[in-house]
Amino acid sequence: MVSPRAVAAEVLVVGGGMAGTIAALAAREAGARVVLVRRAPGATALSSGAVGVAPDPFALPGEPLRAARGPLEAARRLARLRPDHPYAVLGDRLEALPDALAFATRALAPLLAPPLERPRFLATSFGTAVPAALCQRSQAAGDLLAVGGALVVAGLAGHLGLDAALVAASLERYRARGGPPTFAVEVDAGLGELGLLRPHELARRLEQPGAAEALGAAIRAALPAGAGAVLVAPVLGLRPEAQVPERVAGAAGIAVAELLADVPSMPGVRLQAALEAALAAAGVEVVQGAIQGATGPGAPIAAGATEITAARWVLATGRFVGGGIARRGTLREPALGLPVQAAEGREAGVDLAARPAASLTGAARVGPQPLLSAGLRVDARLRPLDARGRPAAEGLHAAGAVVGGHEHASDGTGLGVAILTGYLAGRAAARPGGGE
Amino acid sequence: MATRAGALSYLAWRALVAHPLRRLFRRRGTGLERFRAAYVAEGLGPTTPEDRAVGEAASACVACGLCELGCELAGAVPAVRALGLHAAFRLYSRSAAGLPLAAAALEACAGCAGCDALCPTGVPIARIVRHLRAKALAGRDPPVREG
Amino acid sequence: MDYDVIILGGGVNGTGTARDCAMRGLRVLLLEKADFGVGASGNSSGMIHGGIRYMLSDRHVTALACRDSGYIQRIAPHLLFRIPFLMPFTSRAEGATLRDRAAWYATEVYVGTYDLFQPLKHGKPSTRLSAEELYRLEPGLRPGLRGAVTLDEWGIDAFRLCALNALSARAHGAELRTWTAGREILAEGGRVRGVRFRDALTGEEGEARAPVVFNATGAWSPALARRSGAAVPMRPGKGVHLTLDRRYSNYGVILSAVDGRQMFVMPHEDESIVGTTDDDYYGDPDDVEATNDEVEYLVEGAASLLPGVRNARITRAWCGLRTTIYAYGPNEDALSREHQLHDGAAFGRAGLLSLVGGKLASYRAQSQEVTDRILALLGRAPVPCRTHEEPLPGGDEVPDPAALARAHPVAAPIAARLVYRHGGRAREILRLLEEDPRLGLVLCRDEGILAAEVVHCVRHEQVRRLQDLRRRCRLAVGACAGLDCARVAAQLAGRELGWSPEQVRAELADLLDAGWRERRPILDGAQLVQEELVRGAHAAAGAPW
Repeated sequence: MVSPRAVAAEVLVVGGGMAGTIAALAAREAGARVVLVRRAPGATALSSGAVGVAPDPFALPGEPLRAARGPLEAARRLARLRPDHPYAVLGDRLEALPDALAFATRALAPLLAPPLERPRFLATSFGTAVPAALCQRSQAAGDLLAVGGALVVAGLAGHLGLDAALVAASLERYRARGGPPTFAVEVDAGLGELGLLRPHELARRLEQPGAAEALGAAIRAALPAGAGAVLVAPVLGLRPEAQVPERVAGAAGIAVAELLADVPSMPGVRLQAALEAALAAAGVEVVQGAIQGATGPGAPIAAGATEITAARWVLATGRFVGGGIARRGTLREPALGLPVQAAEGREAGVDLAARPAASLTGAARVGPQPLLSAGLRVDARLRPLDARGRPAAEGLHAAGAVVGGHEHASDGTGLGVAILTGYLAGRAAARPGGGE
Repeated sequence: MATRAGALSYLAWRALVAHPLRRLFRRRGTGLERFRAAYVAEGLGPTTPEDRAVGEAASACVACGLCELGCELAGAVPAVRALGLHAAFRLYSRSAAGLPLAAAALEACAGCAGCDALCPTGVPIARIVRHLRAKALAGRDPPVREG
Repeated sequence: MDYDVIILGGGVNGTGTARDCAMRGLRVLLLEKADFGVGASGNSSGMIHGGIRYMLSDRHVTALACRDSGYIQRIAPHLLFRIPFLMPFTSRAEGATLRDRAAWYATEVYVGTYDLFQPLKHGKPSTRLSAEELYRLEPGLRPGLRGAVTLDEWGIDAFRLCALNALSARAHGAELRTWTAGREILAEGGRVRGVRFRDALTGEEGEARAPVVFNATGAWSPALARRSGAAVPMRPGKGVHLTLDRRYSNYGVILSAVDGRQMFVMPHEDESIVGTTDDDYYGDPDDVEATNDEVEYLVEGAASLLPGVRNARITRAWCGLRTTIYAYGPNEDALSREHQLHDGAAFGRAGLLSLVGGKLASYRAQSQEVTDRILALLGRAPVPCRTHEEPLPGGDEVPDPAALARAHPVAAPIAARLVYRHGGRAREILRLLEEDPRLGLVLCRDEGILAAEVVHCVRHEQVRRLQDLRRRCRLAVGACAGLDCARVAAQLAGRELGWSPEQVRAELADLLDAGWRERRPILDGAQLVQEELVRGAHAAAGAPW
């Protein structure tokens, strides 16, 4: 047994996804010495790589393109409807949302496209439009309201992963609401047998010299007249420095964007890589490993062969995928044993955490599911609360999906909540006693 | 009712006469030996505590595919590559009876353990693949082994 | 008359009878309100057993059941898998009492007597195991057991059994309509004359005429009979099963639930299942879901002998309604599992036959009996039954998966799943890869579903809705809950069936809904993690929400 390496810091962030990274960067910017512990890439790497902040609750479901309100206004409206959503719990601090989004955009500058006043409407591989407050540069040109001319969905010959004709036909329905006319083409980029390649293998193949250019040339040859932008499967490289989207677009002579897709989505993987790069650039020490023997801020904590002591912690351990919340018969928070709220209704919600699964879910799959939005109860300063509704520990903050009351699948707020709560929790942890 | 009485008296005859005689004259080997002879050759062997521990660990996999980014599967033929060794260890580990068929795929693993650090749910992938490979190779009929 | 016989219900009795009738030259129409096997058949324990419990009443019934189990192996050899069962001996007292020993000996004799019939179904003889031997075969059993006897039975994919009978019936000229409900049985002058039906997908309504109507709609038949002025007495019982994500053991374990009822944990294909509950059910048969207490009842029962089951990953809870013969008084377990054929003549519906009860394992013999009755009702000369001789589709050979993997660009474990589900037709499916190599894409790496298999099922196995693929090739029923497969399968099916984008989305939503209903009561541990991932992935990619 090697004796552990001891590290002291002012702020310890547990969790290396979007919330943890933004918290660490925010604390670092505020001048604190920060250590971040992460077990593995989590739900952020498994996201579509675009950031939804809030849906517009007053837009009709069939008319997503009408939901043109900016992120803050949409979040305010959501907060009014959902008193247990973190946006509501934060109270006035919700107003920091634009600052938080700007901070994240700066921190992830090479990857993310500058935000607009309104959300971008990005097409998915299911042929639907999803609003995104922030997105990657490789996704921005697909904004359905910004395409000048026709939108061309390009499928790769020899690969079944994307049915371009179906996506294009599906996107046609947005035309009446300001969307572009859509066409499908199939391009053969001459990259050899693609049929059995997994998405990351396609992405790596496109990074090779000449491959992105060949795809671009094939797109250019297939373009119909009047095309304004091209959508392709989200496989345009794994490493941003390989510049695959830029090379494809250059050779195609037209704006090229990636669709949003299900897991494993390469833009999600790139987003996670960008978070790690930002941490390194900001001088945040990253310790790999699962935490053990946590009792709370101030006491030493073990992670791998490192022992970390910090007076203030940000818990950004995610929800079920990240391991921040677990359920074996009853819901619990494994790191510190904090109470978990499983349903809307504040105090009552904590009592519900031990209820059986079917009692915490609705029969209809669609819509909010208390079990899936379970998480810590926090106050407006993101301090986790104990069973009596008081801050559970001095110097402890929580951010991201470990905080309950929201679920990305049913309210579309996942990474938006992560950025806002990460930003606020990181600053609060860096400056104890206010001054946020 | 007559058939039921007949059935019960038949069973009584079995219990008092036929079965004791069968036990006396027709038993070869212990119960365990006869059970093993009947089933192990069909791939229906016992599940050891180690198998079960590996199975429980593999059950934490949520098939996200992130581990594949760290897996080169260098030696595998395209169909095995397409299946993805690490995303398929769940398939391979689900039923011991099918394990011999997966031997070639399991052997394609270079043992680099690049997958472990990528798993969001903390599945000890390399350890599982090692266990399955050892089991698959042990179950393989020696004369069939190539090379 | 349009048809000789109209069969209502696409469960194992409906499809089995359709096959037999068609093979004997009758003009057959089968109407199924949803898809083949959706009711009690597909949601049964999936066993082709030899009727061991009938030895208590009439051992000739056991002999017949064992012979029929042998027939099913003959006609669908690819679809069966052997399940060795352990029946552990428990005793309440510290040391085994004389009474315990007598009970164990009785069990041994009983199973030993069953051995006499095992050769009829290619079963292996039972053995008696000492406690030490038992723990070597199943170290996960709780301490304190005194030994066991073993028992050999067969399991089957019951959904595919129904589909194969339907496909065979179709090949012999029967007309089968899924997603088409028989709304009313029409009668005239004391005789049935046909059925009014409605196609749920197209809205088409129509009437089909036939002098004989066979009502095999299981738990739905009382309501159908009532609408048609007849009565079918039965006591529907709800049976819930849990699925574990892997083979917990290669051996089934027979054990007692908290209330003393017999239950089991047993391997089923690459999974294990825990079953079953049996409770009277008076609700809507279209709206039946497993409840929290049923799930906990099963877990507690299983964990009483196999404590480790509490750590296993439960992937879904599913249920069906058995149609036991009506009796007032006995508790659910004591109800007869035999079958009855009701004649509608008493209600002025001569020519209407209704089946109540029966077992999956005896479906072929039941179908033969019903077909004999139908021929008699039609006044036809007897025609010999051949359903025990002619293989079901794909049952004529069981290709070697390793050889298939050498001949085609497919991994051997995938070929094995393909052969299990499709027998000799696995060759046809793999030939699709020669024309279109893209179809070699593995859609589900949990169940081993090839894109080619989806295309084959859609083209040849009467798939009308995406959720039908849950039953044809286990699409989106495994642990990963449709994460990889759902979208691409929807695209493939949509392309084959000419669906509009709206239809593709609606079918996808319907498929995901079906999975959610089965997972909702069991979400815990890793399966809850999976649910978060699946919901997030589908929402992020704009799946129908």
